[in-house]
Formats: sequence, C-alpha cells, structure tokens
Amino acid sequence: MQQRPRGRIRPPRRGLVTDQVDFDEVWEVLSQSLREIHQKNASTLSFEALYRNAYKLVLKKHGDGLYKKVKELVSEHLQYVADRDVKPLVPSAVITGSSNLFGSAAIEKRIGGSKFLEQLQAVWEDHQLCMSMITDVLMYMNRIYCADHKLPTTYATGMGLFREFILLNNVYNIGTALNRVILDQIQMERDGDVISHGPIRSCIYMLECLYESEEENEHERIYLTRFENDFLAASSEFYKAEGQRLLHECDAATYLQKVDKRLREERDRCVDTISSLSESKILAVVDQRLIKENIREVLEMDSGIKSMLDHDRFGDLRLLYKLISRVDPDKSVLKEMACNRLIELGKEINANLKNPVAAIEKEQQENGEPSTSGAAAVREEKSASNATALAIKWVNDVLMLKDRYDRIWEQSFGEDKSIQTAITRAVTQFVNDLKEAPEYISLFIDDNLRRGIKGRAENEVDEVLDKAITLFRYLTDKDLFERHYKIHLSRRLLANRSLSHDTEKQMIGKLKVEVGVAFTSKLEGMFKDMTLSEELSTAFRRDQEGLGPDSPSKLKFDLSMNVLTTTFWPTKAVGSDSKPCIYPPEIEAARTSFTSYYLTRFSGRKLIWKPNMGSADIKATFKGRKHEFNVPTFGMVILLAFNDLPPGQDTLSYTDLKEITAIPDEDLIRNLQSLAVSKTRLLTKMPMSKDVKPTDTFKINDQFSSKTFRFRVGLVAINKAENEREKKETNESVEKDRGYQIEAAIVRTMKQRKTLSHQELLIEVVEQLKNRFAPDISMVKKRIESLIEREYLERVDGRRETYKYLA
Amino acid sequence: MAEQESVVLVSNDGFQFILRKSAAMKSPAIKGMLNPRSNFTEARENKIVFQNMSGLILEKVCQYFYYYEKNKGQKEVPEPDFITPEIALELLFIADFLDC
Repeated sequence: MQQRPRGRIRPPRRGLVTDQVDFDEVWEVLSQSLREIHQKNASTLSFEALYRNAYKLVLKKHGDGLYKKVKELVSEHLQYVADRDVKPLVPSAVITGSSNLFGSAAIEKRIGGSKFLEQLQAVWEDHQLCMSMITDVLMYMNRIYCADHKLPTTYATGMGLFREFILLNNVYNIGTALNRVILDQIQMERDGDVISHGPIRSCIYMLECLYESEEENEHERIYLTRFENDFLAASSEFYKAEGQRLLHECDAATYLQKVDKRLREERDRCVDTISSLSESKILAVVDQRLIKENIREVLEMDSGIKSMLDHDRFGDLRLLYKLISRVDPDKSVLKEMACNRLIELGKEINANLKNPVAAIEKEQQENGEPSTSGAAAVREEKSASNATALAIKWVNDVLMLKDRYDRIWEQSFGEDKSIQTAITRAVTQFVNDLKEAPEYISLFIDDNLRRGIKGRAENEVDEVLDKAITLFRYLTDKDLFERHYKIHLSRRLLANRSLSHDTEKQMIGKLKVEVGVAFTSKLEGMFKDMTLSEELSTAFRRDQEGLGPDSPSKLKFDLSMNVLTTTFWPTKAVGSDSKPCIYPPEIEAARTSFTSYYLTRFSGRKLIWKPNMGSADIKATFKGRKHEFNVPTFGMVILLAFNDLPPGQDTLSYTDLKEITAIPDEDLIRNLQSLAVSKTRLLTKMPMSKDVKPTDTFKINDQFSSKTFRFRVGLVAINKAENEREKKETNESVEKDRGYQIEAAIVRTMKQRKTLSHQELLIEVVEQLKNRFAPDISMVKKRIESLIEREYLERVDGRRETYKYLA
Repeated sequence: MAEQESVVLVSNDGFQFILRKSAAMKSPAIKGMLNPRSNFTEARENKIVFQNMSGLILEKVCQYFYYYEKNKGQKEVPEPDFITPEIALELLFIADFLDC
C-alpha cells in the first residue's frame, strides 16, 4: 500500500474536544507516574492513561510546559542518582588529584575499579531503560511538539542530561574518573594482569552512545571526544617506554615477536574491551612507537637483520617484513639493510677471489724459483688455469648467494616486487663490481661446455646454462662478455674441445633470447664456418681420392681445414696477422694443393694460413715402441726439421731452427718449451733449464717413453684466463669498439629524428646500448663532438645543446 | 501462546476486541504499550483499555488494522468500505492519537 501523503489532519483545537485541561493537575498525575517509572514500578501503571494524559496536554498546547517539566524531572532524578549511587564509588584519588589510584595493591585497584565501572554500567542501563519508557509514553509529544519545534526528542534529551549530570558532573569528576579507571585497567592488562572486560566494554559502549550535543553528530561521540585521546596518549607513552625497555632486554627476533604480540593484543582489546572505532588509531600508535621509531635500531642489533639473513631465519624475516610493511609501504629500511648485507657478502666473494691468487703467486715466489722469463711464463699460465677454477668458484658462490636471497624473498618477503628489484640492483652492483665478471661468466660456461656437462642429463645441462644466463643478466658490460665468449668459443671449436655442438647452440639460443640477434650473429657465424669447413674438408678428401697415386698434387697424408670468415672470429684467438713459416716440402705441397682446390671452388677469395692454430698427428718410434702423438703445427714443423738432418748431425741450435723454420720468435720459444721443457719431452735441450735461449741446442730425445700409445703435446697450456698484458689490450680494444657502437647509435638516432636535444639524444643512446654495456656519458659526449667535426651532425644555431643530422 | 500472538483491545463502553498482535502493532502507541521490556500494566495483562474510544470507533480501528495488514505492500488496493461519513471525523482524531 502506498504511503499516505504526510499532510496530517489535526483535530481542531477548539470546539470538538470540549473538556478543558488543567495543566498542573494533569502534570501532577503524570509526574507521579514518571517517578514510579524511575523507581521501576511501571507494572502498576497504565501506559494508555499516561499516553492519553500526555496527548491531552500536547493537544491543549501545553507541549512546551510538558517538555520542560519532563526535563526537570529527569535532571532531578539524575542528580539524585549521581549523589546516591555513583559518588560513593568514585575512586577517591581522582578527587584529591593523586595519580596513585587505590594505593598500589593491584587487587584492590582492580576490585575498586571494577566496582566503580559496574555501578556506572548499572546506572547507565537503568537510565537507558527509563528513558526509553518515558519516551514511549511521551510518544505523542515527541511526534507533534518536538518535531514541530525542531527540538531533540525526549530520549536524546535524556541522554544529554545523563552526560551533564553524571559523566561531566563538575563536583564528582565522574567522567575523568571513568577515563582513569579504564586506562588503569588497560594498563594492568598490558602489564600482564587479568582484568574483567565486561564492565569496561559496557562503559565504553555508553561513551559511544553519548554525544557532545543533542544533534548527535557521528564524530561527536563522547567516546571520540573525551576518551579516545586520553587512551591514545596514555598508550603512546606506554609504548614509548615499552620500546626502550624491549630494546634493552630483547634480541631482535624476540623484539619483533613482542611487537607482533602487542599488535594482536591491541586488536583484541578493540574488539572485546574498547571500541573498534579506535582499532586503526591504536595500532598506528603501536606502529609508530614500536616499529617506526625503533626498527632501525633493532635491525642494527647483533642479532638483527644481518644474523637473520645469514642464518636463513625465514620466520623472523617474514615477521620483520610484515611489521615493516605496516609502517612503510616502501619497506625502505628493510630493503636498504638487506641489500647492504647482500652487497657485503657479494663483495666478500669478490675479495676472496683475489686473495687466493695472490697467495698462490706468493707461494711460488717463495719456492725460490729463479725469476726467469720462462718460469714467469709458466707461472702466468698456471695462474690462468687457476683463474678458471676461481671463475667457477665465483659463479657458484654468487649463484648460491643469490639463490639464498631468492629463497628468503620467496619465503619471507611475500615475493614483494620492489624488494626483488632491490635485490637485483644489489646483485648487479657487486657482480659488476668485479672487473673480471664478464670473463668469469664466460669461463664458467667454457669449463662446463668442455668438461662439466659430461654425462649429465639434458635438464641438468639446461640448468647449468640457465645459471650462467642468470648471471649474464646482471652484467652491464655485456659486450665484454661477448668478447670473452667469442674467444672461448673459438678455442672450443678450433681445438675441438667442445663436448656437444647441440649444447653450444642451446647456449647461444639462450643468449639470443636475452639480448637479441645482433649479439649472437657472429657466434652463429662461427658455427656456420665450422660446418662449411667440414664439408669442404670432406670434398677435398674425395677430390684427393680421385687423383692417381702419381699425381703431383696427391698428398701423402690426410688434411682437414677450418676456413674461417675473418669478421666472425675474434682476432685475438686466431691471431691478427698471418704467421708465415717455412713448411717442410711435403706440407708445403699440401698447402698449395688445398689452396688451388679452394680457389677453383671460390674464386676471388684470399686464404690466410694460420699455422699457430693448427695441429698435426705424428707417428714415431721411441725405444722400439710405436707412438702416435698430436702436436701443434709449429711443433710439427720443428720436429720435421730434425728429419732432414744430414747423417751424423743430431742437434740443432735455436738459431738453426729459426733459420730453417722461420717461425716467429715468440711462437718458436713457446713450442720449444712445450717440446723440451714440459712433461712430454720429445726433445732434449742443452743446457737444461726452464728457459729457451737463442744459444740453446736441441736434439731428439731417444730416451723418451710414454705409457700410452697416443698422447698429446699441448702448447704450454692455451691460457684460459687473460693475463695482465692481454687484459690491457682487451680493454683498449673494448674502448675502441664501444666508441664505434656509440657513434653508430648516435647516427642511427639522429638519422631518424633529424634534430634532437642533447639530453634526449643521450637517453636514446643509452637505451639502445643498454643490452650491450652502460655507456660512459663523457665518452658519448666525445663521440658527439667527433661526429660534429666529421660533419655528420651540426649544432642548431641559437638553440643550445641541440643537434641536427646532416644527410 | 495465544496470549503472545493476540491482544485484547477494550473500548470505554466495555466492548472487547481480540486481534492479532502483529496487526495491532501497526500503531507505534500500541506497540509501546505492549513492549515487554517496559512492563506496563498493558504489557503484563496483554489488554489495553482505551478510555477515549467507544466500541463503534474501536471496531473501525480494528477493521483498519486488518485491512492494512491484508493489503500491505500491494499495488492495487480496494477502497476501505467500512468508513462512513458520520464517524469519519472521530476516526481522524483517533488516527492521530494512535499515529496510524
């Protein structure tokens, strides 16, 4: 049914209702009844009679009088209640102003407080009931008179009176006492005492129901205006002291647990003792006092974050994360301190690397080895292979450290994205802090591809490669890595040391995914060369088989070649210049034969021979035992020189060899070292020493013996890590390369954008190069200058720092 | 049970009407009278004596309570056919008194 329009039909005031009303008479009856209500004797009263009397008064325009009289009556009653019921129980200390409530005995305190609260609760409940009854009886007045005059209803008025006469009673200070008692009880509970929650809850509820004014605005609840601030202030004081106390008494983990417990307690307290309106505020107080103000100090304790991280205390860290998240959405303290520790550990790993090397070198010096150049060379080589071991150790250490932090991140830090970023930044920092990082990562891969992955399952191999990629991601100088990787790869390919080409390709694939095709195209080119060379060698062999046995170009031995495209291969591994030597005739014949074969297939190309990269299998008989061994090409040339000696002469001096073979000094010395000084001594040297001097003479070592039929005479270890001199060279060429790449990036950008401000150009260039290295700003500036000089760019007139592209 | 589900309304000339409490509660005044918490005589005895209503009027009041309860919430409502012009004004008084 639709609501009737509220337009109310009133009975006419005069004429219809004839009986006149005497206000005083009716009020007398009414007030008597209301007093009965206050005395809880309502059961003898007739609601209808009361209601009808009030109705009559209002109808006869005595609403005003009635309203006032009722108010007076309630006031009187409340004053009486305050005197009779509440006052005796108000804790005396409030009146005297002493802060020491009820003396010090906790029990007394608790009982006294509880009694007071219970009394207040009872008074309040009575009043509520009475007021609701009175309001019901005076319903007609509320409906007509109060609404018309916009006055608060009887109930609201009654509540207001309660506030005036009981709570804010000036004489008895009941409100103040209430606050103090409640706070006191809460304090007792915080100190571990047991208190009864019911009375407190009721009194708090009362405060929540009362308002500062009869308008009853939400934010003017007495609870909010007169209690909460006291509560928060007292709590703040308490937790400030508590924080200091805990800092002294507890270790970090306990501190965190205590804080967590306090937070839980306060939350519970808001549910079962005081109002949930205060929950967020009191928690903020705890956050501020116990977390925000002290957390740094806590983390800096001996038992602080450092120890938690070092001992994988996932639980503690999780709690720490949870607590810090409460006060700081950025968790900057946590990030800062965790990352500092991470960097510290990372740097420790880096530093530990340097020490053993130094130690080894020192040891060798002390062994009293004569500091001759040969010994130095050997030592250098040794430290190089040491470097491989170090690289592996480094990579493993770094990965282990990172894994640990990842685990902590996962388990304790809720996989927080911003913390992950911070960890990444920290790892990046210490990884790049180590100059050798790009080389070490490449060495790690090198070692694994040569030995490490032997006999491992596919997924294990994949795991190893992924590890390397993980670290690779952290590198800023990816171009340096590429450089090392190319060298290592070329050595693996040419010396046939790679365990599996599939794995090699897999690795390159992974790199491609990370940084793109440009990065790996040369690496792939190297593979292509290898495949083509194999085909070529087979074809050449077939061609040889087709020749008659007497044909002049028919070779007496098997020849396989690797034809490399110059641009794909690192000059350092292959050697930048051709290293000619005088080959023995049969070898020379093979060389010419292959050259002419190659040129008939690919005309217009030029072959440069690199004997320093090759090797040869030789069969020889020592002391009646047949052996087959593999030596470097130069080694073979040297050994063959002894074949052609005239009868009676069995020695050749260094100068003789130099003359016969024309091998460059450096290579000649190295090869002689490996033939005459190293373990497999196919030659004997006079005089015996570690060094090869121009005055030395050599002869075939007839006494040579080896347990195995086949063996290998390595060139005194192909140095795996770079030595000092090489490092310098590498750095120089890296600088040069970077210069070109920066210029290329500048030109690419400017060609597209035509004009661009300096800042924008810088940003563009850095962005383009970030996959390869982090360009040095001053270097970019220099490159820009240089491009302006060479008239690729010009400055725009009148606009500072703006460049224009010149087509 | 009957006591709780129904209530007795008595007129000033002694007519008694027994009706469902739920219907009578339409009037806030009656509702207040029956509130068990306040424990007035009416609530205890489950009987209300209206000193200002005759049986004739109280009958119409009761009819209205049932009429209201029956048609509550419906869109199409039949005209209340129990009100005659003679008593209309008096009923208006009572409606104001009972606030319904």
